Amino acid sequence: MKADGTIVARQLCKSFGHHEVLRGIDLTVKAGEISCIIGPSGSGKSTLLRCVNGLETIDRGVLRVNGEDFGYVEKERAYHALRPQRLAEQRSHIGMVFQQFNLFPNMTAEDNVMSGPVLVKKISRKVAKEQAQRLLAQVGLAGCGHKYPAQLSGGQQQRVAIARALAMEPSIMLFDEPTSALDPELVGEVLAVMRDLAHHGMTMLVVTHEMGFARDVADEVLFMDGGVAVERGDAREVLANPREKRTQEFLERVL
Amino acid sequence: MSELLPEQKKRITPKRPRDYVSWAVAIAIVGGLVTTTVTNENYQWPVVFSYFTTEAILDGLVLTLVLTVASMVLGTLLGLLLAVMRMSHQAPISGLARLYITFFRGTPVLVQLIFWFNIAALYPNITIGIPFTDISTPVDMNALMTPLTAAIVGLTLNQAAYMAEIIRGGFASVNRGQYEAADSLGMSGFTRLRHVIIPQTMPAIIPATGNQVIGMLKETSLVSVLGVAELLNSAQSIYARTYQTIPLLIVASLWYLIMTMALSVPQSMIERRFSRSTRRPAPVAVATKESLL
Repeated sequence: MKADGTIVARQLCKSFGHHEVLRGIDLTVKAGEISCIIGPSGSGKSTLLRCVNGLETIDRGVLRVNGEDFGYVEKERAYHALRPQRLAEQRSHIGMVFQQFNLFPNMTAEDNVMSGPVLVKKISRKVAKEQAQRLLAQVGLAGCGHKYPAQLSGGQQQRVAIARALAMEPSIMLFDEPTSALDPELVGEVLAVMRDLAHHGMTMLVVTHEMGFARDVADEVLFMDGGVAVERGDAREVLANPREKRTQEFLERVL
Repeated sequence: MSELLPEQKKRITPKRPRDYVSWAVAIAIVGGLVTTTVTNENYQWPVVFSYFTTEAILDGLVLTLVLTVASMVLGTLLGLLLAVMRMSHQAPISGLARLYITFFRGTPVLVQLIFWFNIAALYPNITIGIPFTDISTPVDMNALMTPLTAAIVGLTLNQAAYMAEIIRGGFASVNRGQYEAADSLGMSGFTRLRHVIIPQTMPAIIPATGNQVIGMLKETSLVSVLGVAELLNSAQSIYARTYQTIPLLIVASLWYLIMTMALSVPQSMIERRFSRSTRRPAPVAVATKESLL
């Protein structure tokens, strides 16, 4: 398994019932690149992100993650869905951070971080514990390992969630509006951890409303509206001089 | 006498007439009840005490507890199976479970018990065997379905339907995001269930199951109609001989009361423990702190 940290999507289509959420999306993220997806709510940006690790299945189009077809295997006339074990294996190379954190409330912060390595990779508890302590320190939560999620602030919970995803040593990290559920004063600490990750060369695909983060950190920005990729290009270029009218209108509203 | 400044005066709520009236009414009712139970000779308290710990009654008590435990354990296991079936994405599987639950919750348990006792009228002889082998034994249903078997079968099958709904409710209480988080880490379906989902269903399932145990303890009195010598039936056998109906019903009632009160102590402790760990972000560890990993 190569796990080269790339994402390629071509003409990605997805419908919920009769509602077309993604209408032919193209996306390329190179290894080590940071790509931000912006756009109004309901534009399909979260759905796109969730397709990349199989939380949603795609209806049509090509989706290659880490250099191989994701979730399906290409046959002569159709893509055939992978068996659950193979899908889980592919997912284990992709880290996901959710808007609502989704930490396991029945486990301590440390057990949350250890859950992937111990339960999926079958690494010994001792080794996983050392790794968990290192990762918690990396996200600025050294010494908080014994606490339960309910005892942590939103910003701390989200940082534990990032550490939990990193514990699987993924080649790609996906962030689904990681700061949208946080109180304004807690946004900074989570963004700081994400910046740090970006500087260490992690491939990141981030759905966000934080335009400042996109401008400072992202290599590329994708503006989505109505299930279509309206504009795509260099992050600073798109945010400063949007070519499309819809992008201009959106940025005027949020900036 | 020094004058109090307004800032120093305490604030109180004066007692009102209704505060005294409510006490008077309550004392009058309880007092009346106590007086009549003590003075009315027909209660025959000496008879109550003389039968309270007789062998027949204690044997009945033990059988009541055996029935409760057996039906609860078997009913919970079958209920778990039904709950898993009910949540299946395979329509025929969930349909079967739904049919079962509808049927057993929709008919009275007393009717079900009598039905199982008389099942031989429908299937006089059955053959128990291993499919595709020659190993099989014919069984006479009348011999198989003794009153005790009918009681356990009837109570278990009924309980399973209720437990299935409780367990399903527990699973429904777990946020979808928990499944997604487990999936995104690459967990298998079983690992996800065992380490993430089931521990989180417990706060919803355990207190409700405690209520079912208390309910089941009282429900076992229904099997007295089948002639199973549990607590109520034992009391009935005695008063059928001695005509001391009321004192013996009191004996049975007191034992039921003692057992339900004894059960309600751990029940409320469990409830408090789970409400604490789910409702408040309390420092106390969540109940399932055990080495989950």
